[in-house]
Amino acid sequence: MKMAPDVVKLKICMAGEGAVGKTSLIRRYVLDQYDDRYVATLGTKITKKSVTVANPFGPDLLQADVILWDIMGTSTVRELLKEAYYHGAQGILAVADLTRRDTLIALDEWARSIRSVAGDIPTFGVVNKADLEKDRALPAAEVEAFFRQRAWPWSYASAKTGAGVDETFVRLVNHVLSNRA
Amino acid sequence: MPIERPDTASLVRQRLLANANDVDALFVLAALRVQDGYLEEGLTILDRVLRIDPRYPGAWRFKAKLHRMQGATSAEQSARKRAEDTEK
Repeated sequence: MKMAPDVVKLKICMAGEGAVGKTSLIRRYVLDQYDDRYVATLGTKITKKSVTVANPFGPDLLQADVILWDIMGTSTVRELLKEAYYHGAQGILAVADLTRRDTLIALDEWARSIRSVAGDIPTFGVVNKADLEKDRALPAAEVEAFFRQRAWPWSYASAKTGAGVDETFVRLVNHVLSNRA
Repeated sequence: MPIERPDTASLVRQRLLANANDVDALFVLAALRVQDGYLEEGLTILDRVLRIDPRYPGAWRFKAKLHRMQGATSAEQSARKRAEDTEK
């Protein structure tokens, strides 16, 4: 008889400045939809998705019930709300915007804030808006150096076209699972 | 073309004008009031959030923090317990 895979719950916090596309990445991944209109996230949005992945510690499969916490990108009250947002987080998806250099640099502050509450949890970087290559403000070498220095795996994705989105989330889940004790 | 991003307080105002029970806007309003030094008012607004949606993500944790800021240990513990129950 085939056994059902073990189930783990993973709380993942989205990190990144306003308008980098955190909400759009979730929407593309979970609903396979994209909306060109920008609507700033207010408060907290939680989205759940189950994924089946290879168990990093055995030959079987694992079902990961991923809970994605989408947090408003503006900094106004983020520090005040950090315990509310980040308590119990097990991973970070750090999102930068290919067309805005400052959004890559800002990820350090996001990661610092999340880790001040949740501890030294695994972080995966993604450079969104890969479809806007003509407006690129982040040279590939700078992206690579940034993520390598921090030992964060990373990828490029486009919430608009869908390119790289599924792969990003699956790699994120694998990264978090393989770092679990 | 750069994206126009309204400031948080303006966004909260717009959303509450459209719907006075917009729970996301109320949650952020609670935080804005606390940040401006109005802790009691923030707590009152947060309690309204929790009446509308007792499972609003992070709201019980935030309430625990605000009670801690007040020095209200028992209320802090009670809110933390609710947070843990909600997060199960």
